[in-house]
Amino acid sequence: MKKRVMVRFFTIPEYERECLFLQEQHRQGWKLVSVYFPGIYLFEACEPEEVVYQLDFNEEGRKELHSYVQIFKDCGWEYLFSYMGYSYFRKPMKAMQQQESIFCDDASRLDMMRRVFKSRMIPLVVLFALVILPQTFLQASQRDGSLHSFFFYTYVVLFVFYLYIFVRFFLHYRKLSRS
Amino acid sequence: MDTHIRKVYVPMTETGFYILLCLQQPMHGYGIVQKVKELTDGTILLSPGTMYGSLSKMEKDRLIALIREEEKRKIYQITDLGREVLALEKERIIRLYRNMEEV
Repeated sequence: MKKRVMVRFFTIPEYERECLFLQEQHRQGWKLVSVYFPGIYLFEACEPEEVVYQLDFNEEGRKELHSYVQIFKDCGWEYLFSYMGYSYFRKPMKAMQQQESIFCDDASRLDMMRRVFKSRMIPLVVLFALVILPQTFLQASQRDGSLHSFFFYTYVVLFVFYLYIFVRFFLHYRKLSRS
Repeated sequence: MDTHIRKVYVPMTETGFYILLCLQQPMHGYGIVQKVKELTDGTILLSPGTMYGSLSKMEKDRLIALIREEEKRKIYQITDLGREVLALEKERIIRLYRNMEEV
């Protein structure tokens, strides 16, 4: 069976874009097999098909995987695997009468974002507040040697990257809670 | 009933309402999905992520209780607190309906 590896990065709040990316690959005849490492996807050649991919984030569910997966199976969703807290599901479009997703209301979509926030974002916020923010300013005040400059630019990059994730998360959350 | 329950469940989502309504009989999550599909002539299709999340949230808030597990499917039933919440929701819906007819 022909296989291929693709590298794509999605930040924490971008799981919807990740789903669309996986759907697009399946449409082109590549079905998802596994995720090796954050951003590294393994695909296997298959018949091109419209298949909806969905990600859930539910730690409780992963603790009692059998009953968690069973309800998805009953509703026609194939469980693939869990990676970094996210569980991957897919369902062929031809098995749906209308466009389906694993969430049918915004209340439960928001609940999922809250779960992501609790276990993924809070550690980032803590790291940001205790390390990255003070280090960026500390390194900025000591930019004499080239080593300091190197640290300074590293922290500036991290600083901007973190801010980007926070802003994305916040905007996505606000969009959902307003609708 | 404490303020947390009131704040979260009064009024409640359509999914929450149908879960409590169905769980007056012991049932598992997929059973509720099928029952709601039948009750609404296929208009409302509850999704598994929403269903799983709502059931575990309601169990934690003691609106429903796990009574047993059958072939990997958890069977729940409404509790007294759940009945109280459902009664409040029912009153609210009746009031909505009455007002809609009158105005």
